[in-house]
Amino acid sequence: MSRGSGAGYDRHITIFSPEGRLFQVEYAFKAVKATAITSIGVRGKDSVCVVTQKKVPDKLLDQTCVTHLFPITKYLGLLATGNTADARSLVHQARNEAAEYRFKFGYEMPVDVLSRWIADKSQVYTQHAYMRPLGVVAMVLGIDEEKGPQLYKCDPAGHFFGHKATSAGLKEQEAINFLEKKMKNDPAFSYEETVQTAVSALQSVLQEDFKATEIEVGVVRSDDRVFRVLSSEEIDEHLTAISERD
Amino acid sequence: MGDSQYSFSLTTFSPSGKLVQIEHALTAVGSGQTSLGIKASNGVVIATEKKLPSILVDESSVHKIQSLTPNIGVVYSGMGPDFRVLVRKSRKQAEQYHRLYKEPIPVTQLVRETAAVMQEFTQSGGVRPFGVSLLVAGYDDKGPQLYQVDPSGSYFSWKASAMGKNVSNAKTFLEKRYVEEMELDDAVHTAILTLKEGFEGQISEKNIEIGIIGEKKEFRQVALFIFPLCVSA
Repeated sequence: MSRGSGAGYDRHITIFSPEGRLFQVEYAFKAVKATAITSIGVRGKDSVCVVTQKKVPDKLLDQTCVTHLFPITKYLGLLATGNTADARSLVHQARNEAAEYRFKFGYEMPVDVLSRWIADKSQVYTQHAYMRPLGVVAMVLGIDEEKGPQLYKCDPAGHFFGHKATSAGLKEQEAINFLEKKMKNDPAFSYEETVQTAVSALQSVLQEDFKATEIEVGVVRSDDRVFRVLSSEEIDEHLTAISERD
Repeated sequence: MGDSQYSFSLTTFSPSGKLVQIEHALTAVGSGQTSLGIKASNGVVIATEKKLPSILVDESSVHKIQSLTPNIGVVYSGMGPDFRVLVRKSRKQAEQYHRLYKEPIPVTQLVRETAAVMQEFTQSGGVRPFGVSLLVAGYDDKGPQLYQVDPSGSYFSWKASAMGKNVSNAKTFLEKRYVEEMELDDAVHTAILTLKEGFEGQISEKNIEIGIIGEKKEFRQVALFIFPLCVSA
């Protein structure tokens, strides 16, 4: 007759609880929310845009080193929401993997292949007791040669899906509700509309207007294909366009 | 297959002789989305609900039904990430068999090897059982076959079976509707109706997946333009 929870270890390592849940994975999701940052990604007709908050906790900190947006290759970007240390570890491994892929196979690693690799690694941490799941939700963006702009989200449980738009972090659910209304009729956003939808979604959900230094924006466009982080001036242009529009 | 850091098994016997981690894994399967399979006289059909967490998810990026070889397909109920691991391992085993014997792997052999992997994870050090049950559908020289594999590693051959949230209603429905010499088309129709039974919300070609294998021994996913014809019944 079971003592209910396997001597209580189901909360410490990734074994099943009596209800068939993995508590460590659920706690990893909570760790993502604990950083109090919200991120949003939107896929348009010929571009993908991701936006995240940039919170610099100390005025003496060098702002350029506080970032959640990482280029993996010239053409692939990764927005990591959650524990920064886990994020850096994941990015480091992803960069290695993408570079090896290019070397081994002779062509650039596609977005969905990288996402699947990240998700499969996360799954291993949910099944083997010796490693804990990472407290990171990764949004991978890029332009696929056949399928066009792609946005994938990978979570600590090992799930990965392609998205038309998505969110991660503290206000994830509110942002998804907002985006569902915007994307209901499968609109085909242009580059400007994509960026503005992402930024205005973040502003609406957090109920504050941002300065260019308070957010980070990363984009890939079909005509350019290179992953770019927008500069403060470019972000300002978009913010001005949004406020003029409203 | 264990981890050297953990040289002891995490799945151990309770005083009553039960392996509770496996029971919890079965609970995880039971809270997964419903899937089912039906063996017909000239083929096998497997089907599953494909309910996605949001309309923002691109449903063409999600494949719950996968092929393991050209003539064997598989569907699951339970944890998606665990399913991907098993698909990858099974595909490798099938390919290794083919490399050695220059023949496609028989369905029973592949099922047995996949089940052995699942059993390993209930006994090796530092790992937990897989949180999935699989329905393997194949057509080889022995004809059409349908197997269900559980997290414990035990497997059985079925004429028709279901797994996941709605398992009891689905199985009752299948028991009533199953006919011994059913043809594949009827089986597909019955599969869709069974899914419709416990479906929360409006069933459509976007939120289910169906795979079939017929006498040509090619497993493929059904393009669901036949869908409106079936559901109107």
